[in-house]
Amino acid sequence: MRIVILPKENLAEFIGHLRSFGELHAPTKRGEKSLVFAPVSDLSEIELNYTRTILPLKKYFFKATDVMFNFCAEKGYELPVEEADKKYVIFGVHPCEIHGLKILDLVFGGKYVDTYYFARRSKVAIIGLDCIPDDLCFCRSTGTDFVDTGFDLFLSDIGDSYLVRVGTSLGDDMVRAADSLFRQVKKEDREAYKRNSVQRRDSFQAEIQLQDLPGIMDLEYESHVWEEVGEKCLSCGICSMVCPTCYCYSVFDELSLDGNTGQRKRIWDSCLFKDYALVAGGHNFRAQRSSRVKNRYFHKQRGFVSQYGRPSCVGCGRCKAYCPAGIDIVEVISKLRSEIRV
Amino acid sequence: MGKPKVGVYGLTGCAGDQLVILNCEEELLDIAGALDIKSFPMAMSGGDENCPLDIVFVDGTVVQPKDEEMLKNLRERAKLLIAIGTCAVWGGVAAMSNETPREELKNKVYGPAGQVFDTVVPQPLSSFVKVDLAISGCPIEKEQLLQAVASLLHGDLPRLPNYSVCTECKMSEYPCLLVEKGQLCLGPITVAGCKARCPSYGRPCIGCRGPVEEANVSSEVRLLREKGFTWVDIQNRLRTFAAPADCFEDKILKEGANA
Ligand code: SF4
Ligand code: SF4
Ligand code: SF4
Ligand code: SF4
Repeated sequence: MRIVILPKENLAEFIGHLRSFGELHAPTKRGEKSLVFAPVSDLSEIELNYTRTILPLKKYFFKATDVMFNFCAEKGYELPVEEADKKYVIFGVHPCEIHGLKILDLVFGGKYVDTYYFARRSKVAIIGLDCIPDDLCFCRSTGTDFVDTGFDLFLSDIGDSYLVRVGTSLGDDMVRAADSLFRQVKKEDREAYKRNSVQRRDSFQAEIQLQDLPGIMDLEYESHVWEEVGEKCLSCGICSMVCPTCYCYSVFDELSLDGNTGQRKRIWDSCLFKDYALVAGGHNFRAQRSSRVKNRYFHKQRGFVSQYGRPSCVGCGRCKAYCPAGIDIVEVISKLRSEIRV
Repeated sequence: MGKPKVGVYGLTGCAGDQLVILNCEEELLDIAGALDIKSFPMAMSGGDENCPLDIVFVDGTVVQPKDEEMLKNLRERAKLLIAIGTCAVWGGVAAMSNETPREELKNKVYGPAGQVFDTVVPQPLSSFVKVDLAISGCPIEKEQLLQAVASLLHGDLPRLPNYSVCTECKMSEYPCLLVEKGQLCLGPITVAGCKARCPSYGRPCIGCRGPVEEANVSSEVRLLREKGFTWVDIQNRLRTFAAPADCFEDKILKEGANA
């Protein structure tokens, strides 16, 4: 992997260069405390030292609501016209976020490829940026605190410069286009990088133990922990909306008044919703709120492991950060574990 | 099926939901083209007040004895009765103080003028007749109304969201007023459909669309208490738009308050 150094004083200019590779999006302020990925025009609008945005990057590829096709009684159906070959550059993407995308790539890739997702995915360049964990981040436990792939460029803060890893040929083009802004890596840079990595690793406060977790989940299927969490949970669906790896959606038709045309759409869904496991005839497989909360945890930490060999949680801490009832995934899992420790 | 015969009526209320129909300016011709509107007293005179109807839209709440009579008559006339607006679906603001005796309330609000008319304890339409479809909102959302009409034209009921305002709030990525600012937001227990209009303007949801199915009111009350809101503040906010709803029964509220 090619590695170069970008002195911090050159960042603003480099960001300017990036804009020639597509519409630039980056973490920026919304309201007093929140952050979102949104279009930005220069470095002054970008929050470099952010921890998490409200929504993860899935919003760009797997939209909250999406038109799948238009239909007409006579003409059959036609695909919606996507905006022509518009490119995007998303700057400031943290490792857990990149892992989240890699998990969605797996899920939407599979046997039945989700063309809506990949059509957009291929138009977006990802510029990663490292971060300092806060008290809710546990990506170190989920093995998603570091990335080797899944980015075009990845910037790590080494003091007065960024160490830039080049991940793809597109990333290489980006560096070449702004060649004079970069310099070669020196020994001090490598040392600073290692020092910072260790420091970052040591700054994690939250932790979950993933070892044996699928087995423990099975053993604790009837645990009273689920009842407790179910009593607090509001079924508000926030945790699913903000989760980088919650990918459920519901499909429906929206009809026009002419009685002849309409659109097939999809919208984000959540297993926390009452209607999620409702089937024809009125039976609901998960009528109880506690069984729905349990399902969310099971799918992340148990079902996904059976199917893909790893949990789908990337430890971003969003579900705790935005849960109105303060339900904390780290606490729930450690309670479940302590159940069997006796 | 030919054009369905339709009536639009209002019981006691502000008629805001009927107004939403009239405010569908761009779609009004399509609506008029698709439906055979037999009577819409607020918008036209000379309607047919006796013919059988395929669909009747009713807004407002049963507050006067004549409302009940009118509602039952409409039910008999129509194959499908659709409650529009939070008043029709949940009782609305008229039902906010149902635990206070009527005479006392009437006296407070109207003084001596209150002697000349009769009122009953305000109740949603479903307390009196079968309601085939409930579209809540104060007022209703135009898009939901248009989707309902389009679905009914296909002989189907529309798909209305059965999740909370929070879901739509997060889909639009608005900062959370409850979590970030500790404001008294009812988004977690209020049914979606407005695209989280109030949070989009930085204001908390006051629950104007009524509760979502299976609203976890006791958890909401508990978390608001933890944020330091008084029991009176919480109760007043909860009982503004849908006091007759089962989930706002005194017993359930107290459970949350004492927890
Ligand atoms: S965010 Fe919290 S309260 Fe809302 S559905 Fe998720 S766990 Fe339940
Ligand atoms: S389950 Fe929670 S911590 Fe894990 S990836 Fe989803 S939002 Fe992040
Ligand atoms: S602002 Fe209100 S509606 Fe929006 S997520 Fe927070 S609690 Fe829910
Ligand atoms: S956010 Fe709440 S109060 Fe505001 S329009 Fe929606 S349901 Fe009504």
